[in-house]
Amino acid sequence: MDFSFSVEEEQFQQEVVRFFKKEKDLAEGAKGEWDSGLGYGPNCWKIMKKIGQKGWLCPTWPKEYGGLELSYMYRYIIMEQMHHYLNIYASVGAGMAGPVILAHGSKEQKDQFLLSIARGDIEFVLGYTEPQAGSDLAALSIKAQDQGDHFLINGSKLFNTRAHFAQYHWLGARTAVTEPKFKGISLFIVDLKTPGITISPIWTVGGTRTNEVFYDNVKVPKDALVGEVNRGFYYILEALDYERISTVGGLRRDFHEILEYVKSTGRGKDPLIRNKLARLATEIESAQLFALRVAWMLNRNQVPNYEAAMLKMLVSEVEQRLLNTAMQVFGPYGQIQKGSKWSQLDGKYERSYRDSLESMITRGTSEIMRNVIAQRGLGLPRG
Amino acid sequence: MDFDLTDLQTLLLSSAGKFLENEVRGVVREVEKSEEGHSFDVWKKMAELGWLGVVFPQEYGGIDGDFTDLAVLVEEMGKVLFPGPYIPTLISGLAILEYGSKAQKEQFLSDLIKGHLVFSPAIIGPDLSMGTPEMEEAIIREEARFVVSGTRLFAPFAHVADWLLYSAHMDEGPALMLIDTRAPGVRVTALDSIGVNKPCEVVLKDVTVPRNRILGHMGQGRDIIGKLESWGALAESAYIAGMLGQILKMSVEYAKEREQFNRPIGTFQAIQHKCADMATDLDQVKFLTYKAAWTLSRKLPAAKEISMAKSWASDASRRVAFMGVMIHGGNGVSAEHDMQLYFRRAKSSEMTFGDGDFHREIIAEELGL
Repeated sequence: MDFSFSVEEEQFQQEVVRFFKKEKDLAEGAKGEWDSGLGYGPNCWKIMKKIGQKGWLCPTWPKEYGGLELSYMYRYIIMEQMHHYLNIYASVGAGMAGPVILAHGSKEQKDQFLLSIARGDIEFVLGYTEPQAGSDLAALSIKAQDQGDHFLINGSKLFNTRAHFAQYHWLGARTAVTEPKFKGISLFIVDLKTPGITISPIWTVGGTRTNEVFYDNVKVPKDALVGEVNRGFYYILEALDYERISTVGGLRRDFHEILEYVKSTGRGKDPLIRNKLARLATEIESAQLFALRVAWMLNRNQVPNYEAAMLKMLVSEVEQRLLNTAMQVFGPYGQIQKGSKWSQLDGKYERSYRDSLESMITRGTSEIMRNVIAQRGLGLPRG
Repeated sequence: MDFDLTDLQTLLLSSAGKFLENEVRGVVREVEKSEEGHSFDVWKKMAELGWLGVVFPQEYGGIDGDFTDLAVLVEEMGKVLFPGPYIPTLISGLAILEYGSKAQKEQFLSDLIKGHLVFSPAIIGPDLSMGTPEMEEAIIREEARFVVSGTRLFAPFAHVADWLLYSAHMDEGPALMLIDTRAPGVRVTALDSIGVNKPCEVVLKDVTVPRNRILGHMGQGRDIIGKLESWGALAESAYIAGMLGQILKMSVEYAKEREQFNRPIGTFQAIQHKCADMATDLDQVKFLTYKAAWTLSRKLPAAKEISMAKSWASDASRRVAFMGVMIHGGNGVSAEHDMQLYFRRAKSSEMTFGDGDFHREIIAEELGL
């Protein structure tokens, strides 16, 4: 049992911290863009490219594709600092699309995409959710018909959050009508500039932009198919396995800001506030231990499944409680939005409180995570 | 980073598991109605396995392990509700090891590790708003001895202890005294409690304590009490982790077998989500406890880590035991079923060595609030 980083890992962590401190202005600019809810702005692209140039977006990948052939613990270390300094802790390309291309993509796909992903030059948007396919992802119905020399795609996607700034759609589409439904799904890489694609914004309660994506007779070349036809659902699940590292870097940062606020406003004597903050500190610590467990398992080539579900559920729920506690600390001032002289910490937590709802829903709701823990972790039977 | 057990821990647990399953499971039910509240036979065998010596140096008969070794072992003990004065004796021994004179260490430690001596810390004074103690606090200082009177509460298993670690109120602050329970003027009464943990009332009336029975220097008492409380909180957290693991196991097995509406109740999401929450709570308790044990073993400041572990363990203890009862339905409240034994002990453990609120206050202080 050992809860510390190795000497090499610790040195690496310091190197990553030094990088973000050196790029302080750029990092703050990028975080500001991301926190606005509008997605990547110019500073985001710029810092992602700088991180990518160091090989840090895909540190576990082979060197020929822009990686460093390091272990998952290094990826965890980078993500934790990205979370802390940027609030962006992974890209869809590096975390989900890339690993599937690496495992199942054609030589051409690998050559075309992997290095660009690792360098931070391009980004993907997940194209899974549809109006009738949320937690029940296998119910997706957007249709991709094999027309001999191309696929013809018709249908629509919902809540595809990065569609307005990503270049490529990581699209799950139905290529066969089957029972069970998941056996007729294929994965495609679609250039979002292809004629017939319309992207229209949807705004969340947190002020974050997400999108609807419409496909109207969109012709996609045959080589857009990833891996084998009708195997898409397996790849989607596999991609979830790749993206199981989560961190509490951002939560710790916000916790300390709230702690300092409490101290500086003299509210630290309030027993209720003391109790709440102590509980939060404990929850964040336990979430970090869950995160380290998952990174450690990946490091040993073990596939965490219920452990990752526990982590995802806990981190998103602790985030909610953290922001709720911030609101309680501010009292009635907590409801006042950015811009008023009465808003606290520039109304940041008023917005975060709204925006954090999304993290309990995206990538599997807390209820789905509990199903995974119960069924895969504890072996309880499916209903 | 390593979440695995060490070789020593694997070895320790494989022998522990067999002994606990074969000889200890079920004992708690037998001893609950007895005056002792524990089994001398089990105690003797446990001591022969060397469990009291896990964190003690070899010169006293220990095995020189660290607090993570202790944590995983006590967790195993919690799984079968190991009854008896293991934690009070262990932490008293640690206090003697850290603060005792050479003579005290030689007198007590190897016998303690062999299981020949049982210790109980008597460090909680009565809250006068809760009742009137029959004996008032008094200390008379004489040349070579003290004459001590007073009342201490909730001294675990003090009724079967050979020695008390008694905190006396001196002008310099508290002083810890090693008091022989057979000394004239010592009266110990076990109090019936919700769990099988035998908290005792200790009443001293003009008890003579030689000067050389003071533990540590005058003025160190507060530190020693702090240490006893944190070792105790850490060990109790590990014990809770074991209990909760067993409650979860029982509940999942029950949910798979018990059928209602023509299907196992474990297929219902209402049950599944309770189990998922129990499993998550359990892992939080375990990792916070291991992390605290690891921090303490590295001789780093561990007050915050230990309080994080015990605050979470205390609250999880109540939550998980409650959900366990709910999943078991009517069987969960039946005296025949083991579930209620865990439910009751979970409540005692929640309160022993500080409940959630108590430890959150320590965390708040450690955070600089």
